[in-house]
Amino acid sequence: MNTMTIPQTAAIASAQRANPLGLSWRDMGTLIGLVLIFAVFAVLSPAFLSSRNLVNILQQSSINACIAVGMTLVIISGGIDLSVGPVAALSAVISATLLASGAPAWAGVAAGLGIGIACGALNGVLVAYGGLQPFIVTLGTLSIFRALALIYTGGNPVFSIPTEFREWFAASPLMLPMPVIIVCVVGLLAWTLLRKTPLGEYIYAVGGNEEAARLAGVPIERTKIAAYAISGGLASLAALVVVARLGAAEPILGNLWELEAIAAAAIGGASLLGGKGGIVGTLLGAIILGAMRNGLTLLNVQAFYQLLATGVVILLAMLVDRLTRGRG
Amino acid sequence: MTASSYALELRDISKQFLGVKALSSVALRINPGEIHALVGENGAGKSTLLKIMAGSLQPDKGDMLIGGRKVKLTSPKAARTAGIAMIHQELQLVPELDVAQNMFLGAPRTRFGLLLDHAAMRARAREVLNDLDPTLDVRLPVKTLSVAQRQLVEIGRALLADASVIAMDEPTSSLAPAEFRKLLALMRKLAARGVAIIYVSHKFDEIYAACGRATVLRDGTFVKEVTLADTPAPELVNLMVGRQVVATKHRAVHLGEVMLEARGLSWGNRVRDASMHVRRGEILGIAGLVGAGRTELVKLLAGAEKPDAGEILLRGTPLHFRGPADAIRHGVALVPEERKREGIVPMRSVLSNAGLPTLRKLNRFGWLKRDVLRSRISADAARVNLRPLALDRPIRLFSGGNQQKAIVCRWLSAGMDLLIFDEPTRGIDIGAKQEIYQLIEALAQEGRAIVVVSSELVEVIRLSDRILVMQGGRVAGELAHPDQFSEEAIMTLAVSRETPAN
Repeated sequence: MNTMTIPQTAAIASAQRANPLGLSWRDMGTLIGLVLIFAVFAVLSPAFLSSRNLVNILQQSSINACIAVGMTLVIISGGIDLSVGPVAALSAVISATLLASGAPAWAGVAAGLGIGIACGALNGVLVAYGGLQPFIVTLGTLSIFRALALIYTGGNPVFSIPTEFREWFAASPLMLPMPVIIVCVVGLLAWTLLRKTPLGEYIYAVGGNEEAARLAGVPIERTKIAAYAISGGLASLAALVVVARLGAAEPILGNLWELEAIAAAAIGGASLLGGKGGIVGTLLGAIILGAMRNGLTLLNVQAFYQLLATGVVILLAMLVDRLTRGRG
Repeated sequence: MTASSYALELRDISKQFLGVKALSSVALRINPGEIHALVGENGAGKSTLLKIMAGSLQPDKGDMLIGGRKVKLTSPKAARTAGIAMIHQELQLVPELDVAQNMFLGAPRTRFGLLLDHAAMRARAREVLNDLDPTLDVRLPVKTLSVAQRQLVEIGRALLADASVIAMDEPTSSLAPAEFRKLLALMRKLAARGVAIIYVSHKFDEIYAACGRATVLRDGTFVKEVTLADTPAPELVNLMVGRQVVATKHRAVHLGEVMLEARGLSWGNRVRDASMHVRRGEILGIAGLVGAGRTELVKLLAGAEKPDAGEILLRGTPLHFRGPADAIRHGVALVPEERKREGIVPMRSVLSNAGLPTLRKLNRFGWLKRDVLRSRISADAARVNLRPLALDRPIRLFSGGNQQKAIVCRWLSAGMDLLIFDEPTRGIDIGAKQEIYQLIEALAQEGRAIVVVSSELVEVIRLSDRILVMQGGRVAGELAHPDQFSEEAIMTLAVSRETPAN
């Protein structure tokens, strides 16, 4: 392009510039989709836009959002993490057992998060050093972690979660439920990680072109392990939220969480081929899925049709993405 | 009207993308049986024009005539039906299928419109290929074929579709130099049958050997149609570039300490017992035929692969690179041959791409000092003359030459002492080529050690202070001084068949 004309350069510059909200154009598209869905439900159901219901939507989206943030990092790095649900279940039952046996809350939380990070790191090691495909690795560990959770509990839920622990998660500082605040913090940290740290650049580079990244001196293995470890850690954080809410930890917790998280990331613009995606988009994607479920429930639509609608929204989002590609 | 005699005629073709002119009023006329060169720098509009001929882009304006009749090619299929075939740089074959299946891809012969008629397809494929190369077995899976043979299959496919015009886009970019002869013979056979061939290439020797006339494009406009016999190469270059390309005289060399030395490096049968060294301030050229082990040798030097035997000494100290990251820590970096596959992260910005190796140094407790990174990269990007100088623009939107400059910028910013260039100007247009040359020379002048692998003899001779010639994984010989440099001297070493030492 050494013959680049001035108008062309200007056109590129304007395409690069973010719009007034400071979002990328892709995130802007997701936001527009979200607004459209809100508009439709607002018209169909007067209760939808009430502040209480909006908070509800955020709360209902928070578990998936938390998982999806980790999933996004893994997807950008060119991988996938199918094992998030079982990781959540395993850390839930172990930390619940500790809590129920009278261990202090911090110990239970630390154990839960530690298990999640360790499980994630194991995925990462198998992917980075085992030379196996991420889909296969996490498909395998999905079964293994689920089995461990079932074996550990004998298939029974763990009850008697101390109220102190439950109340902490049930608090509503800043007028928002604790899970929503947790997701805000997690989202902010992950956004910062991707935008402001070398690890973030490495994650994009590894997913965008692994061989080029390797020759440019990027620590490929450490980057992948970090992404999976974070995904595992966030899965266990989501598990703690669920345990606190239910007052019990079930070994079958987190069934199909991975699919919903992948859906949120994909709606938000993450490419399963790697190298592309972002936290803002993923969070919006999670809220879109949450708003769909909430709105359809308000309208008394049967669960079967909710599933149908969710699938249609995912495909629509992908088609729109395909048709408007190339805007940067 | 003589117009009707052209196999293909394009009149006044214009095409815009988002308000930017890619082609304006381009004309092209090719006679049946003619081999016609289409030349121009990267970004001159050749690819756009080819895409229009192939039916994958529609022109905004202009006419296309085939055999004198106006046609509208609304899809690649329409172009094929109209008799235009494309042979792309990256061949478009299915590796797992056999030769005959590939030739009939998309339009298979069937029995009762249902079952594939393999016997009939094979017989017909054999018939078509017989003229071109009777030795090729049509039952072989394409993945077992050489690049040259695959090209043959593509050409066979074009003939099968009764193509009257075949456009070849850089057909020799992945061929060994000797194979061009065979391709040329093949093209002449096709031309003798009345097929018109459009030959797109950066390599002048090929263009002059193969083509009668050439159409020159520059900045999306038609410059001139020339008869090559009357147009010496420097004039053709001027037409393409629109400015005088100066051939610089050899620079003054100031040699420093031995930066890197390799002793008896071996890696399977790719590299055998290879020894070499390079000094600060020196540009060491590595020449040889495709498959001589040059790329493999430099990958060992840059820590991208591990040798089975031998040792590497950096500034006199023996060490083993655990990987590219380790080599980079020691100041050794590779600018790889396949830019798309090994060089760039296409979706990321120039800043991200150029910054990758520097990040670890600008890491404060996990936090990236982005301002420092930006100012450093931006200074180096200006130095390599990146155009446009837009650091936040995704690198995939830059031309090949500017992507290469961005990668050089990467290593400038990372402060390397030894830079290894593998085919530094592959797929890069002439103007940018000169810039890359000057850049490489300037890097050496500053006291860095430089290794340049190149298949273009002119390039090795132009750049190097000393040339190693490889052959069959071994270092076949050395031309220690520019006085000894000549294409003959290099080729003699490159094809020499010495008695194996061990």
